[in-house]
Amino acid sequence: MSTAVASVLKYRPRRSAADATAWLGMVVFLASWTMLFAALFAVYAVLRVRAPAWPPPDLPRLPLLLPGANTLAIVASGIALQSALHFSRTGRVARVLPAAVAALVLGAIFLAGQSALWVGLWREGLRPEGGPFPSVFYGLTAFHALHVLVGLFGLAFVVLRASRASYGPTRHLGLRLWCGYWHFVGVIWLLLYVTIFVL
Amino acid sequence: MPTMDYEELQPIHPEPTSFWRKYVFSLDHKMIARQFLWAGLLFLLVGGTLAMMIRWQWAFPGRPVPVIGPLFLSDQGGTIGPATYMTVFTMHGLIMIFFAITPILIGAFGNYCIPLMIGARDMAFPTLNMLSFWTFAVSLVLVICSFFGQLGAAGAGWTTYPPLSTNIGTPGSGQTFMVAAIFVTGVSTIMGGINYVTTVIRHRAPGMTYMRMPLTVWGLWLTAVLNVLFVPVLGSAALLLFLDRVFGTQFFIAGAAAVRGGGDPILFQHLFWIFGHPEVYILILPAWGIVSDILSFFSRKPANWYRGSVYAMCAVTILSAVVYGHHMFMTGMNPLLGQGFMLLTLIISIPAEILFLNWLRTIWQGSIRTDPPMLFALGMVFVFGMGGLTGLYLGATATDIYLHDTMFVVGHFHLTMAAASFMGSLAAIYFWFPKMFGRRMNESLSKVHFWWTVVFMTLLFTGQLIAGYAGQNRRLADPYEYNFIRHLLPLNRYTSYSAFILMAGQFVFVWNFIHSMFAGARAEMNPWQVGTLEWTIPSPPPHHNYDVIPTVLRGPHEFADPLVRERLGRDWIGQAEPLLEQTPGTSAPTAAAGRA
Repeated sequence: MSTAVASVLKYRPRRSAADATAWLGMVVFLASWTMLFAALFAVYAVLRVRAPAWPPPDLPRLPLLLPGANTLAIVASGIALQSALHFSRTGRVARVLPAAVAALVLGAIFLAGQSALWVGLWREGLRPEGGPFPSVFYGLTAFHALHVLVGLFGLAFVVLRASRASYGPTRHLGLRLWCGYWHFVGVIWLLLYVTIFVL
Repeated sequence: MPTMDYEELQPIHPEPTSFWRKYVFSLDHKMIARQFLWAGLLFLLVGGTLAMMIRWQWAFPGRPVPVIGPLFLSDQGGTIGPATYMTVFTMHGLIMIFFAITPILIGAFGNYCIPLMIGARDMAFPTLNMLSFWTFAVSLVLVICSFFGQLGAAGAGWTTYPPLSTNIGTPGSGQTFMVAAIFVTGVSTIMGGINYVTTVIRHRAPGMTYMRMPLTVWGLWLTAVLNVLFVPVLGSAALLLFLDRVFGTQFFIAGAAAVRGGGDPILFQHLFWIFGHPEVYILILPAWGIVSDILSFFSRKPANWYRGSVYAMCAVTILSAVVYGHHMFMTGMNPLLGQGFMLLTLIISIPAEILFLNWLRTIWQGSIRTDPPMLFALGMVFVFGMGGLTGLYLGATATDIYLHDTMFVVGHFHLTMAAASFMGSLAAIYFWFPKMFGRRMNESLSKVHFWWTVVFMTLLFTGQLIAGYAGQNRRLADPYEYNFIRHLLPLNRYTSYSAFILMAGQFVFVWNFIHSMFAGARAEMNPWQVGTLEWTIPSPPPHHNYDVIPTVLRGPHEFADPLVRERLGRDWIGQAEPLLEQTPGTSAPTAAAGRA
């Protein structure tokens, strides 16, 4: 562990017991949702293994560039939110709001990119009823996008709180919880990008 | 965490005064428990009525159903046709599992018992708890919508297997509503599960170590762990089936196009049973815990090998995740894989047997009090024993291939999931009723209810076992269309009579429950003379449960201790009751051990 990180950890204020309870609840929730997405990825794996050709030759190919840009957007959004949490923890309260706004905007860009992706593929003739390949593509990305949408509401709440300067070294529970959720959604997207688009 | 300020973590909130906050959108775990109890009992009645329709059809196929026929089936001349019959048994199964037993055992008693028995003031997340109930209420609305769906209610069986459950098999909106209801009730269950898991980890009173928790809490906690981990898998299956039905995806629809391949109906079965096998333990673990406690309480003896029971329940929880394949022996599974699942399935009977022997050794030579909760607990042990033994035939592939899809399967899972969970629920209701409502239930009526229930329930479900062993398939609208089943009509008729009498007997309970709630004798603080924490506070408990969070000194079943008898003149001692010249929280030996 580098000395810089160690010094931050050393002076981090003690968490209250209520915050620890809330964080545990978040961890249990994310464990539960991990099972949900694990099941969905298992569905993807089974259908792919069974399929005679993946992707089917008569269907439009999935692009790599647009979802790749989306990946960068959601990763950057995660970093922005994490730095908002870091600024709050280390007392640099004035920087929390810009970081949170950046996270929100990047998240919205991700969702806009996803919509563009769906519209483009739909116009090219990729429809959910076209077999397991488009089913998996639309089903998994849309269900993930719903989680991004929920996350955007959460980030909007965080931005609202940050604009009222409610966060500080000991008061950032909501920010921390949404940060956990947002990283979860980001990791799921990374897995989706690798499995559905790249592989 | 070395030190924790328990009072600071759980401050006393003022009791709400407005009607909405107190009775409708209540944050109080005790009120939410009662909401779940009422909802569950109401849907138990609906599910029971549907069961009576099934039994009527098998006793008198094609004859108009009395009372229900003229009311709901007038367009078919009051009879149950094959299509209606499909919806009747489907809705019976789904309602009983997800909307009756689950809310009663987990929603009501999970909510009621966990905070009270671990010495907490409320759940860890009261708002989430309220949302859990109201999400459940949304799913109940979807169930009711399903009954009025075009082409009737859901009709693809409780397992909802594709292709029957896709638009090809059941095109009506009733099936779609029901798939949505399963997803929504799953979300509600997960919300509750997150709350239970977190509450037990974080809100145990000082000194309430894991090995001092009542077995009820252990059962409910392990149930919550299973719920949190495996209900999402059911959620994924319901979600994808919903997408198939509504948005035309093809996850479970076997393929048409050669190049593109097709969906996989068997895949749904995998997802369903990865959830479905833990689910049967989700429905029985709370009952196991409750019965383990009650047997000790009313035998006036410590529970035999408490730790063994805890370890056995943990082992069952873990093993339940790896045995699901025994539901799919007949799906073309590789026989070697089938043998593996058979081995794991039979292994799970070892911890179950440990638990069972612990129950028997708990009551062995005890000073048994035959109060109604004890009778129901003993009844649960009896029916669960039968259900467990018949399970061995189905876990072993050699016999399962013969018995698969017969009434033997139905008899087996009714003995475990229906009879044992139902008996466990009733034991819990009779046991905690005084604490919940502050009044006693009528004892004579309770005992009448017990004997009525246990006799006719046993006759009913053993009738199913025998019919299944004789080869009667399940889910037949008119089994007697087949020559080889025709001679089973008298047996089925007797089974149906048992069912009708069983149902009639439940109205004794309904009357007793409602009458006692308003006019029963006032219950004192500790009517059963037991030592767990919830009996140290008034009945019903105040809004914040404990004025001062208790410091726990010992386990939950401290009965028949000679020292206690000598000092206090009774055969029990409370979990937080000091015995020696010690005050709670000082450095006396037992208190110190509790904090370690």
